Amino acid sequence: MSTEYADLSCETCGTVTDHELRYAGRLLEWTRCTVCGTQVEVTPRAMLPAYARDLEQRVTSKPGRMLRRWSRDPVGYLVRLPWAVARQPVKLAREVWGVLRR
Amino acid sequence: MLAAGEGRRSGHHTNKVLLPLAGRQVFTWSIRWARLLPGVVHTTLVIREEDRAAVLATLDREVGPPQIDLVLGGDTRHASEWSALRSLQPMIEAGEVDVVVIHDAARPLATSKLFAEVIATAAEHGGAIPVREHRGLTGVGDTQVPEDSVVTVQTPQAFAAGPLLDAYRRAGRDGFVGTDTASCIERYTELAVACVPGDARNIKITFPDDLFLAERLLARADYDLSDGLEQTQHHHLRDLWPHRGPRNPR
Repeated sequence: MSTEYADLSCETCGTVTDHELRYAGRLLEWTRCTVCGTQVEVTPRAMLPAYARDLEQRVTSKPGRMLRRWSRDPVGYLVRLPWAVARQPVKLAREVWGVLRR
Repeated sequence: MLAAGEGRRSGHHTNKVLLPLAGRQVFTWSIRWARLLPGVVHTTLVIREEDRAAVLATLDREVGPPQIDLVLGGDTRHASEWSALRSLQPMIEAGEVDVVVIHDAARPLATSKLFAEVIATAAEHGGAIPVREHRGLTGVGDTQVPEDSVVTVQTPQAFAAGPLLDAYRRAGRDGFVGTDTASCIERYTELAVACVPGDARNIKITFPDDLFLAERLLARADYDLSDGLEQTQHHHLRDLWPHRGPRNPR
């Protein structure tokens, strides 16, 4: 789960306002206008298959992404790799739990 | 590529082109599709100073060589375009650039094919803009709907480099501020600006809903808008081992 803030147009306010955006993994879960509270969200029923599809793409593209990072900075990549590998299960479990509990 | 926004932002809020979108940031998606074309030799990204560190980190992570030049944008779209053109001026005057493509970084789903079409059309006619016809409009109050067809204009827009630079120089002298690149070209040059068919997927991230839509459109395209220019990647787990294709093809 991660949160971003950005200026986007709000249909209710009719102007550009600050929005809070919540992500589940790489997928946008919901957005909320911080001025009027208008919330746009993906229904849990739609989120689960979208998350599964996105997770599949993440898994299949992982080797390519790892190779690109390694080729850019081999030493730095190898130094960071053990920590990155160690925290993946917890990160993934949090994401899946976050999607399932909605 | 224009990524400077509208100059309204303040505080800690993220520029919308720096938001995450399906594993990359919004602005790097279209850089990826444009730079697959062999004729695209140089990329200039127009940014705001407060975004510089974030943009550099993203470029380092998500975009490979050749290097992208960063220039600071102005308060208007026109000023940002002029900043980009000034940075390209030596290359244009040396004859190293034939066509300049101007693209809004908030349109992450512009395909390689669309970039190729506007570049080819601009090389032939002088200017090219992608458009989508708007049907079924109704006038409100005294407003009359034009009898001719009405279109919405997208980016990328492409123009012959020399006349484009000259048009912006003259606009600067006159204090003219255009709404988009084509408006400046039409005012100061005799170049024909041809329309090419736009793409319904080429949405501009404006409302929160657009981010949800862009995610789904990318997933539907298997995260590949290269139209075959990019080496095929594995998008499904079943691609990782040999298989005979779908059991029940429709």
